[in-house]
This record gives sequence, C-alpha cells and structure tokens, in this order.
Amino acid sequence: MLSVREIDVFIQASHILRAVSLEVGAREVVCLVGRNGAGKSTTLRTIMGYLRPRAGRVELRGQPIHGRRTHEIAALGLGWAPEDSGIFTDLTVAENIEIATWTRRGGRPAAERLELAYGVFPVLRTYMARKGPEMSGGERKMLSIARALALDPQMLLLDEPFEGLSPAIIPAVSDGIAQITRLGHAVLLAESNIHHVPEYTTRLYVIERGEIVFAGTPDDAWRDTTVLRIIGGTR
Amino acid sequence: MTGRLLVAAAAAAIAVAPLVASTYHVLLMLPFMAYAVVLLGLNLLFGYAGLVSFGHALFIGIGAYTGAFLTSHCKIRSLEVILIAAAALGALVAAPVGALCVRYVKIYFGMLTLAFGMVFHTFVLKFYRLTGGDEGTPFLRPSLLGRSLEAMPKIDYLVGPYYYYSLAVLVLATLCMWRIVHSPFGLCLKTIRDNPAKAETLGIGVTRYRFHAFVISAVYAAVGGALLGPPIGNVDPTLAYWTHSGNIVFMTLLGGFTSFFGPVVGAFVFIYLQHWVMSVVPYWRLIFGAILAAIVIFAPGGLLGLLEPRRAAVRL
Repeated sequence: MLSVREIDVFIQASHILRAVSLEVGAREVVCLVGRNGAGKSTTLRTIMGYLRPRAGRVELRGQPIHGRRTHEIAALGLGWAPEDSGIFTDLTVAENIEIATWTRRGGRPAAERLELAYGVFPVLRTYMARKGPEMSGGERKMLSIARALALDPQMLLLDEPFEGLSPAIIPAVSDGIAQITRLGHAVLLAESNIHHVPEYTTRLYVIERGEIVFAGTPDDAWRDTTVLRIIGGTR
Repeated sequence: MTGRLLVAAAAAAIAVAPLVASTYHVLLMLPFMAYAVVLLGLNLLFGYAGLVSFGHALFIGIGAYTGAFLTSHCKIRSLEVILIAAAALGALVAAPVGALCVRYVKIYFGMLTLAFGMVFHTFVLKFYRLTGGDEGTPFLRPSLLGRSLEAMPKIDYLVGPYYYYSLAVLVLATLCMWRIVHSPFGLCLKTIRDNPAKAETLGIGVTRYRFHAFVISAVYAAVGGALLGPPIGNVDPTLAYWTHSGNIVFMTLLGGFTSFFGPVVGAFVFIYLQHWVMSVVPYWRLIFGAILAAIVIFAPGGLLGLLEPRRAAVRL
C-alpha cells in the first residue's frame, strides 16, 4: 500500500530524517513509535506532502507521491488525522464530515461514507449541529478521524491519536480505530507511548533521532532491550 | 425563518420606495444597489475566503468603463449587452491578476491587489484617447430590455425603469451568491479560511479555490461597476482609484463581513450616512474615519454582528 524508501528530510538546514524506510501493507496496522522530537510527525508530514524529501521515495500503491501537492495526495486516497485534530471550527460537526464526501469523488456513495464515519464514532451523531469551539479534545480527535474516513481513503495516517486526551475518553477513540482496521483500511499510526500501542498492531517501527532503529512485531519490541530503553518507560 | 421574512420585507421596501420616498432618497438607492452587487462579490473573497482585496476598484472601473466605452464609442446601448460584456471583461482581467494574487495571502495579497488597482488607475488616467483621461467618458443612457427610453426625462428614467432594472439585477445577483456560498464550493472556501493546510488534506486545491473566488468576485464588481455608470452619466478615473477600493472594504466592515447580508447593509448605511454627514458638515472623511475606528475596536462583526449572539472572537 504505502512504502517509504530511504527518505532524507531537512527542515531549513537541520537534517531531521535520515534514510527512513517503512512499509505498510494492505489491511495492516503499523505503528511508528518514538519519543517527542524523534521524527514521527515529520515522517507523516512528508508522506502527506507538506515536506519534500531531499532523497528517497514515497510510493502509494506503487505510484510515487513525493513531490506532489498535499491535496493531490489526499485525493489519491490517503486520509490524515493530524496531531492537533485540525478541525474547521467555523463549520458544524456535520459539515466537517460532509465536506470530505465532496472533495474526493468516486468510490463509495456519500451516504455510505457518512454511515461509516458516524458508525465508528456514534457519539458524534449527538453533536452534529455543534461547532468546533464547543468540543472537547477527545471529540475533536474523533471528528478529525471521522472526517478522514469520510474521504473514503484506502489508508489512514493518524498522528498521535491519544495525545493529550483524558484517560476517560481514550477507550472510545481506541475502539473507533479498532473498528476502522476491521473495515479493511490500512493504518499508519504515530505514537510516543508504547503502552498506547494497540494490541491489533501488526508491525511496529521505532524511530529515534530521525532514524529507524527497530522494525518488527510488538512482541519482539517488548523483548528488545534497546527499544525498551528508548520508549519503554516504566510499566 | 425570521431571516427570510426580513429579507423579503427589505426587498419589498426597496420595491415600493419610488412610490413613497422623495426623489432624492430614491436616487441614492441607485448607487446602493450597484454597490450591493459589488459587495456580494467582494465578501465571497473577504468573508468566505478570508482574502482582503484593496484593489477591487479595478474591477468596478472595468465594468463602468466597459459601459461608457460601448455607449459612447460603439453605439451599443443595450444594458443587457453592457452587463454581459462587463462580466466577461471582468473575468478576463481577473484571470491573470487573480492567478498571481491568490498565491499570496494576508497583507501580501492586499498589497498586490492594490498594486494592480493602481496600474489600472494610471492606465485609464493616461490613455486619453481610449478613456478620456481625467475627464472620463460619458456613459450614455442605456436602453433597457430593448427599449430606448431616450425621450424620458432623466430623473423619471432613473427612478422608474432604471431603478427596477437595478433591483432585478441585485435580486438575481443575491440569489446566485446565496447558491454559491451554500454550495460545497462555499463550504470549501470556509475551510480554507479556517485552516488552509488542513483543507489540503481533504483534497482541496487551495490555490484553485481562491482563484475561482477571486474571479467570481471580480465579475460581481464589474457588473456593479457598470450599474454605477448611468446615474452619474460619466465615468472617470476616481472610480478606479484605490480610495474607492478602500471605501468598499469599509462598507463591508461597517455592515459585517461575517454574515451574508452584512456588506449589503453596510453599503446602505454608508451611502445614506455619507450624504447626510456631507450635508451637515464639510469634513465627512473625519467622521467616517472615527466610525471605522470605533467599528474595528468595539464591533468587529459590524452592524449585523451586533445583532448576533456574542461570538468567541471574530477572526480575520
């Protein structure tokens, strides 16, 4: 589905990512784990076209997408739920979700997409007429993911979906993501806390100082002492 | 629902005004209706797309000069033809200008539109043969729906057929704009104003949407500009001067750019207030400057913003 090959990314003069490679297969749930500032968001932002790699390739279904514009990449079927949710605060919840059914045509009909989006986070139905400022962080996160889903993407990029949420709402968000993976979407999820890595994760990459230092299954990661030293924290 | 009733009541009031109001006030309604058309378009750019143009007098000028040129030099008097030509020429000029300007935002966009406006102003001022320079070009009385109406006294023409013609254009322009801002296109513009980077992730080509909004607003300004001509009877370069661009931004702020009808209300209040203040004191700009300052500080949502429930903050 998505393959990132040896990308080098600079922000201004700083070398942020060094030869980062990762693969996400169809229907896979892949976690990119790393501390704050390790390069997770930069990796995701590069995939999404906000940053251009100086070297390396990014391919979506075999088609190179590095160097293309963000809106073109989105139109190719990559849904994105950013770290700060990025919902449109002047629009209602319903409009936020509906807009994605207009901006990317083809695929499933609009009604079916809305059904899917609300199906994953049913609580959003009760807030349909609300606008951004009236929503909590968790609700914004759900809206952001639901909106990305309404784009009818083949794959979703979720940047720290549990970041800054109250523990009370984490299960609702987590259940929603689990449901998305069961729908057959590939998911690439960035996460700074290994304890938040969902149990349905198929593979896991650990990034440290802009380099991938581990790739394997979650079980292997738990047995790897270097990985635990970097992101394990304490149980 | 009450909103719809209010709009219908306002339209009815405008429709009966010539029968009840004094000729002086009815004549003031003509520039109001022309500016209302201009502002409906300007606010698509300002209120909905978040781009403040300081150069829209350029397109008002294009519309007005199109009408003046056609009636004076081409013997074309049909207002329908004039309006269509103005719209087409407005779009034609807006395409290259807009393509350049919408690559920039905020003050850079404003300054670039200002620069293009000044270029056009200098053009109409200096190309004496084509435009008549600072003397301008006469905008001869246009025929309406194929009727010449040449024999009518000027005042009767303006408060009668021309008045209702302007009203019909305004109503049509309002209905079209209402459809535009409530279409997916309008909603996409709002997402771009909210957060352009995030709008991109939904597959919205930000530059392309801004460009379309720019061209539509230019077409509205050109049509409104053409309507401004007949009551004055002469089109001169002050119509294209940058202070004129400033005036329409002022009208938008006065009425409130956050609501659909705000700018229209702003145009109405601006025109009547201006004429009233001018009749009382000679320095209306001083008074208007103070009003503008007061609006920005105390009522950033404009006059219609005062009617709305308190918002958290109005963002520009």
